[in-house]
Formats: sequence, C-alpha cells, structure tokens
Amino acid sequence: MHLKGLHVEETALIRAAQAGDHDAFEQLVRAYDQSVLRLALNLLRSPEDAHDVYQEAFLRVYRNLNAFRFDCSFHTWLYRIVTNLCLDQMRKRKVRREETTVLATADGPLDRMDAVTEDRADGDPLRHMFSGQVRRRIKEVLGELTPRERMVFELRHYQGLRLRRIGEVLGTTEEAAKNCLFRATQKMRAALGDFI
Amino acid sequence: MTECESARANFALLLYGELSFDQEERIESHLDRCGDCRNALAREKALHHAFDSLEITPSPSLLRECREDLAALLIDEPRPVAPGWWDRFIDAITLRPSAGMLRPVGALSLVLMGFAAARVIPLGEASGFMSAGLGDAIPGHVRYVEREPDGRVQLVVDETRQRVLSGNVDEQPIRGLLLTAARDPNDPGLRAETLEILNAQAQAADIRNALIFALQHDPNDGVRMKAIDGLKAFAADPEVRSALKYVLLSDSNRGMRTQAIDLLVGKNPAYDREMVSTLQEVMQRGEQLVYVRERCRTILEAMNASAETY
Repeated sequence: MHLKGLHVEETALIRAAQAGDHDAFEQLVRAYDQSVLRLALNLLRSPEDAHDVYQEAFLRVYRNLNAFRFDCSFHTWLYRIVTNLCLDQMRKRKVRREETTVLATADGPLDRMDAVTEDRADGDPLRHMFSGQVRRRIKEVLGELTPRERMVFELRHYQGLRLRRIGEVLGTTEEAAKNCLFRATQKMRAALGDFI
Repeated sequence: MTECESARANFALLLYGELSFDQEERIESHLDRCGDCRNALAREKALHHAFDSLEITPSPSLLRECREDLAALLIDEPRPVAPGWWDRFIDAITLRPSAGMLRPVGALSLVLMGFAAARVIPLGEASGFMSAGLGDAIPGHVRYVEREPDGRVQLVVDETRQRVLSGNVDEQPIRGLLLTAARDPNDPGLRAETLEILNAQAQAADIRNALIFALQHDPNDGVRMKAIDGLKAFAADPEVRSALKYVLLSDSNRGMRTQAIDLLVGKNPAYDREMVSTLQEVMQRGEQLVYVRERCRTILEAMNASAETY
C-alpha cells in the first residue's frame, strides 16, 4: 500500500517534471541523487569524477525526460544512465591507467579519498592496522576486476540491488549478471582468501 | 566436482540470497554434515564483511556542491517540451499489444473518453496533481543555514517565497527553524551544517535532544558524525551515554562505533555494571572491528569482568 502510494507519487512527479515543473524535477533529483553519488564515488573512487558523473547523469535525465515512457521504472532508467557513464569512465581509466587516488604533494603522498571517507584512522595503531592492510588489499583486488565485474559487484554488494534488477539496469539477463558476480567473488576469494 | 567444491563455489551467492530454494537446501544439508565447509563459510562471511569496510559515503559538502552545480547548469538549459497528445496517443497504440486488431480503436476510444471526461469533470480537489501533494506549498522549510562572522546565524527559508532571516541561535524563531532543519528528511547537507551550528549550544536541553536524535536516527554518516562531535563534552550525561551505547551496539559505521567506545569509557574507566553488560554484549555480537573489540576486551579485563560470560 505504502509502496504503491510512493509509486503513484513518483509517477505524478515525473509527469509534472515532463510538463516543465522545475520543483518536481528537483524532488526527483533529491529522491535519487544520494544513491547516484554514492554509486559513482564507490565505483570511481574519485570525488571529482563522481561529481562529473552526477552532473552529466541528471543533465541527461533532464534533457531526455520527455522520452521516458514508463517502459521501466524511473530508478532503472536513471541507473542505466549512471552505470553507462561510470563504465565509460572506468574503461577510459583502464586505458589511461589512472586507477590511483593518491596524489604526490609537498607534504608527501595524499589520498584524495581521505577527504571523503567518514571513518579515519585518527592515528590509532590498531585502527591503522585494520584500515591499512585489509583496505589496501581489497582496493587492489577491486581494481583488478573488469569494469563489468566491478559494476555488478558494486550494485549487488554496496547498492543492494537484486541480480534481476542489475540485469535490467545493465541491459542483460539475470543469469549473465549472476555469472559476472560469481566470477568477481571467485577472483576476490582467490586473492584475499589467505588474508582473512 | 565434489560436493564440498560445489557447495563452496556457491557460498558467495548464498550470502547474497541469490540461490534458489533447492540450491540453498542442498548447501544447508551439506553444511550439517561437513565441519570443513562450515569453517569455509565462516571465512567467506568474514570476507563478505571485510568488503563493507571499503564503502564510501559521500560527504554532505560533496553532495551540496553537486546539487548547487546542477542547479546552476539547469538555469541555462531550455525547459523540456511536454509530450503532446499525439505522443501520448502513439504510446497508447504502440505499447499495448494485448488489444490485437482492436488496439487502435480501443486506444482512440480511451483518448476520446479521457478528453470528454476532462471537459465534463471540473478541476479541483479531485485533481491527481493536487492529491499527490505536489501543489501544496511547504511553509517554513529551511533551505540553507550559515554562520555569520559575528556569531549570528543566517537562514534561507522557503515559504511562498524565499526570505533571509538573521539572528542568534538563542532567539526563538531562529532556534525553532534550526531544530526543524536538523530533521529535514530531504537534505543531509543542510542537516549537517545545522548541527554544526547547534553543536556550540549543546548545553541547552532542546538542542542536546536534537543532537541525540540525530545520533541515533539520522541515516547519513556525516550527520551522525556531527552529532557525536557536539555531544563529546556531555559524555557523562545519562541520556547521552544511553545514545552512545546504542551507537556502539547498532551503528553500521566503524568510525561511529570507535568514537562511541572512546567516549563511553574515557581514559580511566571506572567500574559500571551497566557499562560492563554493554561491552559484553558488543563482544557477544561478534564485533568485526578489531579496535572496538580489543578496547572492549581490555576494559572488561581492567574492570575484572569476563569477556566470555554473558
């Protein structure tokens, strides 16, 4: 009942935004933008790139909103746009080999993600141990996955989407998404098994 | 492939709940018989939890920057042209194949009926747009807060129009709006900045209550971090302690749990029965964070309390 109510409200918002209601569009953005930004930030590990994906995704939604005909849910449509932008970015990086978030500064190496992550080590040795070794290794392993494996893992593990929905978002079948997740977890288990 | 290999290959999908009932059943019954696979599943769960440590939550400032930049971009964008009746008609007759040969006729009939109904039924309260709540103005919605150099606070409030209010936190209208903004469900950036302003006045009960509420209920990590910052000086207050215990036991963010344990026990923890039971519960729940687990164990030992008996 509640979900149905939400769906009706979202449909009304989309129709109002299609009719040029700017406030309705803003409400749509605010309903989804935190999860869009989190997805982009976790996939790209760069606040600047996540910011760019956010802008480009919602700009595309704005420009193409009238082409949205409710063939799928708005969430699926939006995530299709966001995941395509992120995949493009990840593939470009694979070519340019710009995976690192660490910058060389006058004060030594600085991880740009430190400005984003909420839980910092605060100089405690035990916390350093945990957040240092394990995080570093997991980061390396995630960087070794293919963009598609990385995307499916991100959508399933961090965004909590079911494989069926992931298939819809990525324009593939549930079975293909399942195989992709299977490969990703196998690779990570092989690389991290001794560590845990 | 042996039964063990087959079960272990599917552990990840099992933990994600992506196996069929029959597949899960096969693995469960195998686990009942195989201790090695039970241990392997425990390792798989540890791996699963280790990934959680790498999740990043966007900071409120990054989210705010994105929203502001998008708003600036959209100013230059031409307004979208609404789909006309012809577009809707085409949609109706092309996206509903179930009507078969009568599809165009049925679709056209529906369009005509809709058109006629729209002419006959007056617009007003029955309008779907109004009933969805989109036509309602939201009085007193705080859009933006900022501290001025002289210590006063400036707020931008949405009514039927925006206006700027300026005043001190202890002036009632300003304070009321700030307390409302601290719970704004739509804007974590606004909530975080509001709490930063309120933190300086946490000695007041109403403000401390707002911080406690945010600490326990706000879904955004950054906002809860602000709340815990404001409550640091009041870690001895019973209500604050109770909220910190809740954080220690329930918060999904590792940084929050770490700060909670630090604030709860301080540098020289005295024996406190209720505290002992909280720490034991943390141990019992299998806290994943090494730092928190080790601190709990050390403090329980210092209090001559068991880390094993619950």
